[in-house]
Amino acid sequence: MSEADKYDAIVIGAGPAGAACAYTLGKAGKEVLVIERANTPGAKNVTGGRLYTYALEMIDEGLSENAVLERKVTHEQIMMLSGNRAISIDYFDPAFNNEGSPPQSYTILRARFDEWFAGKAEEMGAMVVCGIKVDDLIEKDGKIVGVIAGEDEMYADVVVAADGVNSFMAQKAGLIEDIPAHSVGIGVKEVIELSSKIIEDRFNLKENEGAARMILGCTEGIHGGGFLYTNKDSISLGAVFMPEEIAKHGKSVHEIFQELKMHPAIYPLLEGGQTVEYGAHLVSEDGYRGIPHKLYREGLLVVGDAAGFVINTGSSIRGIDLAMLSGLAAAKAIIAATDTSKVGPAYLKELENVKLLPTMKSVEGYKDVLDIPRLYTNYPNLAGDVFAQLFMVDGQVPPSMKKAIKSLIKKNGLSMLQLLKDGLKGVKAV
Amino acid sequence: MAGIYVYSDKKEFVPELISLAVAAGKPAFVITYSQETAREIIGYGAEKIYVLKGESVLAENYAKATAEFLQSEAADLFVVGATPRGRDIAARVAGYLDCAMVSDITTIKCTGEVIETERSIYGGAVVQTEILDGFSVVTIPAGKFEATAFRATSGSTDEIETISVKADTRVSVVSRVPISKDGVNLKDAEKVVCIGLGMDKEEDIQMARELARIIGAEIACTRGIAEENHWLPVSSVIGISGAVIKAKLYLGMGVSGQIQHVYGIREAKIIVAVDSNKNAPIFKAADYGIVGDMYEIVPLLTAALK
Amino acid sequence: MSKIVVCYKWVVDEADIRIDVSSVDTTKARRKISDYDRNAIEAGVQAASSVNGKAVGLTFGTSAARQSIKDALSRGLEEGFYVNAEEAATADGTVTAKALAAAVNKINDVKMVICAEGASDTFARQTAPRIGAILDWPVITSVCKMEFSGNKLTAVRKMDDCQETVTAELPLVVAVLPEINAAPIPGLRAVMAAGKKTVTEFKSEELKIDFAPKARITGLKGYVMSRKNIVFDEGDAGEKVSQLVTALKKEGVL
Repeated sequence: MSEADKYDAIVIGAGPAGAACAYTLGKAGKEVLVIERANTPGAKNVTGGRLYTYALEMIDEGLSENAVLERKVTHEQIMMLSGNRAISIDYFDPAFNNEGSPPQSYTILRARFDEWFAGKAEEMGAMVVCGIKVDDLIEKDGKIVGVIAGEDEMYADVVVAADGVNSFMAQKAGLIEDIPAHSVGIGVKEVIELSSKIIEDRFNLKENEGAARMILGCTEGIHGGGFLYTNKDSISLGAVFMPEEIAKHGKSVHEIFQELKMHPAIYPLLEGGQTVEYGAHLVSEDGYRGIPHKLYREGLLVVGDAAGFVINTGSSIRGIDLAMLSGLAAAKAIIAATDTSKVGPAYLKELENVKLLPTMKSVEGYKDVLDIPRLYTNYPNLAGDVFAQLFMVDGQVPPSMKKAIKSLIKKNGLSMLQLLKDGLKGVKAV
Repeated sequence: MAGIYVYSDKKEFVPELISLAVAAGKPAFVITYSQETAREIIGYGAEKIYVLKGESVLAENYAKATAEFLQSEAADLFVVGATPRGRDIAARVAGYLDCAMVSDITTIKCTGEVIETERSIYGGAVVQTEILDGFSVVTIPAGKFEATAFRATSGSTDEIETISVKADTRVSVVSRVPISKDGVNLKDAEKVVCIGLGMDKEEDIQMARELARIIGAEIACTRGIAEENHWLPVSSVIGISGAVIKAKLYLGMGVSGQIQHVYGIREAKIIVAVDSNKNAPIFKAADYGIVGDMYEIVPLLTAALK
Repeated sequence: MSKIVVCYKWVVDEADIRIDVSSVDTTKARRKISDYDRNAIEAGVQAASSVNGKAVGLTFGTSAARQSIKDALSRGLEEGFYVNAEEAATADGTVTAKALAAAVNKINDVKMVICAEGASDTFARQTAPRIGAILDWPVITSVCKMEFSGNKLTAVRKMDDCQETVTAELPLVVAVLPEINAAPIPGLRAVMAAGKKTVTEFKSEELKIDFAPKARITGLKGYVMSRKNIVFDEGDAGEKVSQLVTALKKEGVL
């Protein structure tokens, strides 16, 4: 293609959404250019985290087999911390990991995975350029017709904004305004290196098996939570916090996170390890309600985190798979459309087809549950107290459980009524 | 004749190179391209001072002739003072003779036929040890060896032997403009006050100058201050690409302590750091430190020392 | 068309190296084109336009160095040459210069070889003069400015005690200081164009040189500064200052 021609699509960002879109377009023989601002794809991206393989399989069957992934998750865990105490639930399910089909999810490391995935897009014919920042969009007659990077202009029928949370491109296109502080959380994360043998011993895993853990009660009452994922020879440990509450709190995110690392139930898992990476990133917290009203305008589609496609149900956080689905949907819309004015509506239709919008709508209510402030101190403390009571044997005559629990509820600043209200809210929301 | 041959384009450097050879237990020979220089370095313990005389005023044009000479003399080792000119000549000799060369060595050990050297790489973070095979070339920065002044009565012009050689003529000198040294000689300074990029504005250097005046110190800076901000001349830079100091006291303010800078202060007796960031690497490199606002600390320090 | 060959090195990013007293781990480190080589590449591109020639890149490295070529080509070089040899992993200054000189001999119509004064990892400053000696071409080092007039180069050298202006006729070898010019960051189109430029690969056997290093590395260890690390953090500023003064007086440095 000569310089005077234009690309079928220019994708801004080589993360999972951008790469999925470019892969699908390339596979269909379309000319696509991906522009990534980091020196390598993934270098500026942060995840907990894990990837649900169904998304890779939807992009192309068999893709998960050669993907650069860490451990297949066989242990789903929830942990509640209260003071020095910890309550853990470990759900072990061999069915998450059937012979014959890919395991349901894998823990991943973004630098490795993103680079691999962008490489696959290149194999499909996409041109991926790194280390270049797109500064602005080119508009003509009310349509987006290209991008500007430094002194260079590049034209395309469709521009796909896959530039992540707080998308500059979507803002430049007038589709979103700057994100309000309560719509995002600040996530911090460390990757701590440990030998695979030690990880397997400490988490009771077989080779290649992994654990994924959500942690509640580790944020000093701030709306947020922690996570832990086992990679091949490292552990990803992190926490997400609501920025407005941190500001009021007094301690910094960094300090609270360091205290999580030192918790007696967490520290032994990390002991002897070496922190090799420290990262922080914004993450969308509003779920379905945080999706921009307009996901497109003529000549531009918004995908992935840029479109707020992240859901948090407390027990699972999903962004990468949704990002990939949206990239796939965008690509399909571009491939099928005969006219740039039809691409946008086709994209919305594809988002329904790949079940992305229905999925997000169905868990919309979880935000109401997660907004209950008691979830972050009172309830974990109550749980801790109840279990302490349950397991206490001190030679005294045990009190009646009913009486004990009633008094513990009171002790933790709660009432039966409040519990009922919160419970009802929870039931209604899900 | 076998032995250690030394060269420096700075004649004051030559005596310590001779000492290196003598310390290694081998006969020392000096190579120079100027009759004048030869006369000024007799009596320092060299067996012979060879003047390779040719038509060019550019020392580098004698590289090939030097290589041929060393080969004909079956020299063991060629030690060159590490200056821009010295390094150039040394590397060309190594190229002509297809031999090992180690640049800017920090230590050298000659045991029998084996030569072992140490030098810093990765900006000064890592020390690399190497063993050299056969005739080799090394360059060594000034000040590593004490020059033992032999100045014995037996020093005489008999040490000097002049040999006619053909100099390369392909590169000619058009002009030479001496660089005016602002009189700042950090290498010999007893005390140094150093400013880093933690300083807000150029006018604040005055605060550092006050302190320096009170304690009798020279002013120095990190590379960024000279090359990015242009607040001080490049000759004031301490670091791997600048001066290496041996001062009794180094005090850095607003210096973060990047490894390339720390390389230049390692040999100071006492290192003091004042910086607002308690995690700055300089504190790991310092004997004493104060974590605080230098704009508060430094004036107090100056006042306390008046 | 006459060529200006710019030699560049694919080095470990020193920020990523894990160092402790007894060991140095570069296995997890990213690689980059040596910082000062970027300035040299730009100098080569500018020189090529002065002499109506073509600036090309040359590197000597293991198969890992292949990644460097696109980066180098995005900086204005028109063609890439790559000596792909596993021996590069143990090469010393002798071998590197021989390999590069042998490659230069295989490239047609080379009028000039440009290297940076030193590489950002080892900063040994040997490559250009060595190459010059092997090719028996004139060599000019520490260059901070170049001007061409026909077949003649006038170069300004920044020495430690003077600024020296010299002239010589091409072909020759030049070592440039980073101050010779800035290294502009490649734009989008330059990066895109890099993928389409020709790359010629030389295998070690083709060069017919002896790859045995003359200097063997026998140890690498982290330089450890063992200092007192006493930090005064008790009391207000005045108290900290007086504690420092007391300590320094005791050390006898004040």
